[in-house]
Order: sequence, then C-alpha cells, then structure tokens
Amino acid sequence: MSSSPLSGDTSNDPADDQTGRFVRQPNGRPRPLSPHLQIWRWHVTMAASILNRMTGSALSVGAVLIALWLLALAFGPDSYATFTGWMGSPLGLLVWFGLTLALFLHLAGGIRHLIWDAGAGLSLKTADALSWASMILGVVGAVAFWVLLFASGRVLL
Amino acid sequence: MSREAKAYIKGVKVSERHGAEEWAAERLSSLILVPLTLWGLWAGFTLSGGGYEGARDWFASPVNAVLLAVTLLVSLWHMNMGLKVIVDDYIHRPGSRSAILGLIGLLCLVIAAAGVFFIVRLALGSAPLPAGFGI
Repeated sequence: MSSSPLSGDTSNDPADDQTGRFVRQPNGRPRPLSPHLQIWRWHVTMAASILNRMTGSALSVGAVLIALWLLALAFGPDSYATFTGWMGSPLGLLVWFGLTLALFLHLAGGIRHLIWDAGAGLSLKTADALSWASMILGVVGAVAFWVLLFASGRVLL
Repeated sequence: MSREAKAYIKGVKVSERHGAEEWAAERLSSLILVPLTLWGLWAGFTLSGGGYEGARDWFASPVNAVLLAVTLLVSLWHMNMGLKVIVDDYIHRPGSRSAILGLIGLLCLVIAAAGVFFIVRLALGSAPLPAGFGI
C-alpha cells in the first residue's frame, strides 16, 4: 500500500477519502491507517477480540428486546401474552439462544480483556490459552444454560 | 498548536485528550457488569416460563427492580461506549460519524428512559398501561 497518493488517482486521495484507508490526525494531516482485516494472518487472539466486538454489537439488539419485554409487561396480560407468543416461537427461541450465546461469549471475553488490561496473561502462550478458554467457556455456558431451561421445563418447544 | 505536557505512566504515553478517561470508563463499566450479568442470567432463568403473574411477582421485590434498573443503565452506558469505539474505528467522515454517534446516543437514552419508567411502574404494582394516561 502506497503511503502517498498517486496524482490523478482520486480513490487514493487522502483529502477526499471515503475508503477508510486514511485517517485525519489531530494535527490536520491525513495519514494511512494500519492495514485492514484481510491483510492479517488469522490468529486466535485476533479472532477472540473480533468475536468480542461482534457479540457486543449483537447484544445491543438484546437491549432493545429487554426494553420491549418491559413494555409488554407494563401494558398488561394481553400484550405480555403476545410478546411471549412471539418470543416462545421456535424462531424467537433461536434469537434468544443467539443472544444468550453472545452474552456468555461477551462476558467471558470481557473478563479476558480485563485480565489483559491489568497487565497479566500477555505472554503469547497465555494470551492464546485465555482466548481459547474464553470462547470455549462462552459456548459451554450458553449451551448449559439452555439445557437447564429445557430440562427444568421452563421452556418448551 | 497548544499541547499539554506529555505524560507517561510506566513508559506508556497517556492520551493528551480524553482517551484515557474513556478507556478507564469502559473498563469500570465492564467490571461492574460482570456480577450484574451473572445475576441477570439467573433472573432470566427464574423468569422463563413464569408467565405474566410470575413476572409481576418478581417485580414485587424491590431488590429485583433496583438491580434490574442498575443493570439496564450500566449496560446502556457500556453499550454506548462500545458502539462509539466501533464507529470511531470504521466511520471516517466527521459528519457521518457525528450523525451515527448521535443516533446511537439517542437510542440508548430512549431505552434508558422508557426502561426505568416501566420498571418503576412494575415495581410499584401500578395498573397496566395506558391506565391513567387518558387513552
């Protein structure tokens, strides 16, 4: 990647950049951004970090659904029955399973990041192990949560 | 350009603007959310399959109502910060960035205001909406 734009190449002109390859520094100068995702060789710490971002974004949808749950409950039995009807349908349960998975992964990933931010576990070996551990813990936690929900008869298909 | 004196902690440069506070705030919210999330999962498990009556009974406990309100507000604070970092990373035009950040902030505020309003009504055992609002 060229760090200075070729003349006549508007797509490479940092003054009117829409590609995201340049970033305007606080001193007003455009500077090339570090290479994007597809440049890097995948490794587990990177995958876990990206997963933490994706699950975090997905949980924003969860926040909206929790607000809708509160709304349905506050509007009385009829609206609540409509809400639980939708959410208890196979598609609704799939959405909630996805959100549970995102929550467990984001929780485990968040703890991993807190450990790293405290300055611990940053050797290559430990960082890789923590990444794997948080992802496995996230999946196992979510699956266990739903096995318990079905086993206790709280959720029926 | 006026610049404050550069500050270093353990050889790591500290942000000259507001980056350090934003970084610390995100970690603080994560730390608070770890126990609240575990409680939230337990609450979700308890409420599942309980129906309308079960949920209203659950809200009769002030501890549940207060913890839910705190969890909701800290989550929205954390969500706003997290989404802002993503937008800062990928949206480069200042106009678009401000617009998207404004919309995200608005969404978080609406969820927070509506959520707390509903939680307070449920905790007080108020009649189902729109009671008392003349509709």
